[in-house]
Amino acid sequence: MSSTIDVLESRLGANWSGIRAARARTATLLAQLDAAVGDLHDANYSIIVTGSLGRGEATEGSDADWLLLVDGRSDPEHAILARTIRSRIVDVVGKNVGRTGTFGDIVASHELVHYIAGTRDSNENLTRRILLLSESRALTNPLLRERVIRNVLARYVIHDRSVQSRSGHRQTVAHFLLNDIVRYWRTMTSDFASKMWERDREGWGIRNIKLRFSRKVLFLWGLLACFSGELFARSDLYDVENEDEHFSRLAELIRAQTDVPPLELLARAVAQSDDDSVAEAIFSSYDHFLNVLSDPEARMKLEEVHFDDALDDPTYAGLRDASHTFREGVTRLFFDTHPKLPKLIRDFGVF
Amino acid sequence: MRTIGFSTGALAKGDFALGLDAQRERPGIDAVELSALRDHELPSLIDAIDSLNLEDFDYISFHAPSRLMAMGEEEAFGLLLRVPEVWPIIVHPELLQTPSLWRRLGERLCIENMDDRKMTGRTVPELQILFDTFPEATFCLDLGHARQIDPTMASAILMLREFGPRLRQLHVSDVGPRGEHLPLGATARNSFARVARFVPDHCPLIIESIIGIDGIERELDAVIAVFEAPLAQATA
Repeated sequence: MSSTIDVLESRLGANWSGIRAARARTATLLAQLDAAVGDLHDANYSIIVTGSLGRGEATEGSDADWLLLVDGRSDPEHAILARTIRSRIVDVVGKNVGRTGTFGDIVASHELVHYIAGTRDSNENLTRRILLLSESRALTNPLLRERVIRNVLARYVIHDRSVQSRSGHRQTVAHFLLNDIVRYWRTMTSDFASKMWERDREGWGIRNIKLRFSRKVLFLWGLLACFSGELFARSDLYDVENEDEHFSRLAELIRAQTDVPPLELLARAVAQSDDDSVAEAIFSSYDHFLNVLSDPEARMKLEEVHFDDALDDPTYAGLRDASHTFREGVTRLFFDTHPKLPKLIRDFGVF
Repeated sequence: MRTIGFSTGALAKGDFALGLDAQRERPGIDAVELSALRDHELPSLIDAIDSLNLEDFDYISFHAPSRLMAMGEEEAFGLLLRVPEVWPIIVHPELLQTPSLWRRLGERLCIENMDDRKMTGRTVPELQILFDTFPEATFCLDLGHARQIDPTMASAILMLREFGPRLRQLHVSDVGPRGEHLPLGATARNSFARVARFVPDHCPLIIESIIGIDGIERELDAVIAVFEAPLAQATA
């Protein structure tokens, strides 16, 4: 079955080779990773990848952000297993995960499900939780990933309801989740500034560009997932008498989006807007971003570019311009051209 | 009142006579599942069927072995053909290695959803594949298994929606981390209560919680409380 991105590409007569190449590379890497850790299946945990592999956007220099997600009893063997996983994944992708400690470790489902907002939530927990929803893929035991996601969404959707409206209209936007998605986006942008301060702008260029594209697309996924009750619901979805079933169905609809890569979900919304110029702006610029990242030399330049010289660097400057086109396309989609998003973003996006 | 009873295996493992005796003449119990979960228990239970006193039970089902260790598929199937035609035969999907054989059971073949130790029959899409293969088969919803796969119970509710016309009976128990059937805990009771309103009143409830004979009343009360509460609300 072709993706909506393929449909748009064909309709526009475009050539989004970077997106297609990234999807193909993702499929290859995932097959290799599946083979590398497939024998480690266990009912109590799932080996999860996030990041570019979770989004279907792996390029030449991509690493593999992984988690050993445990949903069951604790076992010292998990630590030993984590070392095995680390070694096998490095064998496939050639490098280790980043140095923040957010990935490449054991993660217990308990914190993901129970510490949502409030004083016990942490930056790390928020990051893991939102990435599990927005850009994760199970290498082993996909049902466990689904189970944890369902439990997280139960907190966000089933157990957090607004007072029933006088009109009898039932809530279709998951407010708690939406607030956390917005919080996560703002956290990413703030943490970018923090990391640049702590690291004296080391690796500034590539992080800045990722913030403009791949981090932003996570935010877009989150918004669209939260609005999926309005955007992607079947006409009979809410044809239920019971409140519990209504929210259970809404949670399940949002869960279904957790299996859709962010760029594909964005394409589905773009397809609803029926405005080719928006599609062109969003996907051609994103395609440029992926093409640059897949070029080792260009990627190296991005990793080494200095803040003060940035606009003199054609690689960075070209991507910065493309990011403006991307932002413009997304802004038009959300504020102008889509049949539903402008009202949704006005009603729920700010105040 | 719902039709309700225990699996003989839950009460007395392979000692089906004890499992029946423990339930007979108990107020509130009018269903039973005769269980031969281990294949070596199957021949003796089949041989005994004609001599069993089952007059206290309005609903009787038969649980086939969960897997075959000591006998082949055809031999097991041959024995199961001797089960009275009005009794559904509850099977785990992994038993169904030769579909043409099992299709002969028609609607007596009652497929149970599985826990997360199994590789099929766990979710709606996986069950749909089975029902496509066995179009006449009926459905045994194991609430404990469904909850293990999805504690929010959205999947269980979806199973009831998708396969409601096939629904023949429920299995009710908590399920532990190794797949063991346990007495209903507090969280399981809450989870099952969310599903109860979607279970038709006429659907028999078979309790699979592994308990001693002494625990029958307590477990029966717990299950009745879960399933009668929504009815009480609905009629209030």
